[in-house]
Amino acid sequence: MNLTDVRPDKRFRDFLALAGLLFCLTCVREASAQLTIEIIGGGANQIPVTILPFAGEESFVQRTSQIVAADLQRSGMFRLGSVGSVRPFPTEPSEINYRYWKNEGAEALVIGSVIEKADGHAEVRFRMMDVGKQSQILGFSYTVTVSQLRVTAHKIADLIYEKLTGDVGVFATKICFVTKNADRFELQVADADGYNPDFILAHKEPIISPQWSPDGTRIAYVSFERRKPIVFVHNLLDGTRMVLANFEGSNSAPAWSPDGRKLAVVLTKEGSSNIYTINADGSGLGRLTNTQSIDTEPNFSRDGRHILFTSDRAGSPQIYRMRADGEGEAERLTFEGSYNVTPRHSPDGKSFIFIHRNEGRFNVAAVDLATRQMQILTAGSFDQSPTFAPNGKMILYASEVKGRGILAAVSSDGRIKQRFTAQSGDIREPAWGPLLNNRRKE
Amino acid sequence: MRNVLFVAFLVFIIAGCASQGGKSADIEQRDLFDQQQAQRQQEAARKQEADKQSQVMKEQEELKRQLEEQQKRQAQAQQQEQPIVRPLPGGTVGESQLKSDPWAQLKETGNLLAKRNIYYEYDHYDIKEEYVPIIEAHAKFLMAHPDLKIIVQGNCDDRGSREYNLALGQRRADSVKRAMVLLGVNEKQIETVSFGAEKPVAFGQDEESWAKNRRSDIVYPKEPQ
Repeated sequence: MNLTDVRPDKRFRDFLALAGLLFCLTCVREASAQLTIEIIGGGANQIPVTILPFAGEESFVQRTSQIVAADLQRSGMFRLGSVGSVRPFPTEPSEINYRYWKNEGAEALVIGSVIEKADGHAEVRFRMMDVGKQSQILGFSYTVTVSQLRVTAHKIADLIYEKLTGDVGVFATKICFVTKNADRFELQVADADGYNPDFILAHKEPIISPQWSPDGTRIAYVSFERRKPIVFVHNLLDGTRMVLANFEGSNSAPAWSPDGRKLAVVLTKEGSSNIYTINADGSGLGRLTNTQSIDTEPNFSRDGRHILFTSDRAGSPQIYRMRADGEGEAERLTFEGSYNVTPRHSPDGKSFIFIHRNEGRFNVAAVDLATRQMQILTAGSFDQSPTFAPNGKMILYASEVKGRGILAAVSSDGRIKQRFTAQSGDIREPAWGPLLNNRRKE
Repeated sequence: MRNVLFVAFLVFIIAGCASQGGKSADIEQRDLFDQQQAQRQQEAARKQEADKQSQVMKEQEELKRQLEEQQKRQAQAQQQEQPIVRPLPGGTVGESQLKSDPWAQLKETGNLLAKRNIYYEYDHYDIKEEYVPIIEAHAKFLMAHPDLKIIVQGNCDDRGSREYNLALGQRRADSVKRAMVLLGVNEKQIETVSFGAEKPVAFGQDEESWAKNRRSDIVYPKEPQ
């Protein structure tokens, strides 16, 4: 029996096909391993926003305004206002009684409608109004297939988020993670809210260290399916995959360069774990570190100039930074504690996060590269594998509750916390996918 | 035996061809000689043929004998290629190696060779004193059986980083290999691999479970289960 089960992510194919037109992917799928999200903390200064039900949305399985509201609430940065008692809800600016909404405490009011069109299409219209100024802040209309209603809602949430916070929204991005159920490991791809999970690889041997290519079309990972760690690159568009590194010894810790042309990998073919670079097609292997110590977990900076990595060259595992060409001396960046691992650059390049052991606990910590100040962001016992949202505002990581692997998220200031739980089994090894710019204004 | 029959068969065919050749020459000449001459010649030919056949039989028997002898020698040589039994001073290892089946030795209860796990301290890969005898036993065994190979699988507990643990597991496996090579084992007999924190044998989040997972396993891939 062949236990490897590789299949193309169909939603991803749709997604790429439509990216040029309006936007994204996702078709309704029988949600098997749906994740449940629990919000644990909240931001100090939450922005008020009132989202009214969209006219006509109730005739679709995916209710647009509810998805938008859930996205914004989950971010911890918004306070959702009351929907009032006036019926029917306004769907156009001319129908808004501003005085009433001002009395209800509304500041930003979101209204809209979903109109069924021919051939399985729907038109989604939405506007965000400034109640005080009685003027429009945002207004867009989308014509999409019914299967794209959910991602359309995420796009609307992104626009509202951007307008009200000044940061890029990441509700319409993807995440991947590994699930373990009995003796079955699955590499799953899901929407950033955990919805629509679908596996791209399943095997009875472990899968670790998935990493998205910068364009979101490929995922590199380490699979033990051949009874030793080998690095694969999996194409999400057609479901094919290739062996990237299968040298003598261990092959692991893939990290994409920002241009997506090459990856850093860790090989033991010449003795101890050292960092190499290899082209994305498996050609052109070059060596970056040459030590007798453990050098692993490379991570490129967004400008491609530096690589952060873990090394035990000074006796205990610590975080170092070197030039991306391996030239010159590596600089040690962590000094607190005797166990600092898994470094990840922040998208703006100003800080990095990592796992710090503190009195027997393993937590996500951040170091500001300018001040070198360290801040511990999480409070779990065994936190692992942190990954930044592409806007740098949230960090997704693996944690554990009562012996079960779960995913958790924390805002980069440590204030907002979320928890993702699967219905059964363990979830681990999260990786947050890139931002894909394919929005178009009305 | 099959070879012997085949050679005999070949000899028969060759002999048959030769006698037929004689007969055909006979027929050619008959028109030129009188009856008596012909009879004499036929008798001579018959006698020649009989001689030839007995010669062939003798040759066959000789060939058969030679082949049988060769097979006997080969069988003897094969017996000599069985593992070289070398008595080693001290311990149960040397004694049990006198037995011919290496797999039985590996499984013998009370034999150090039955122990396959080396355990480590947290974030360490150095071999603790108490596990040195196990490594020595396997090293001696591998030196006594240069045709056998092992895989050393390094493992870690699952705290911290999966990738760092993978590297640490590789170190643990390599440290076992290095110790064995220093003891004289041919390094080609030892392959190392790391499973990092991915193959735990104990699943609790406590020191007892973690200690069981921080280990190197010595695996003989061809060992019957």
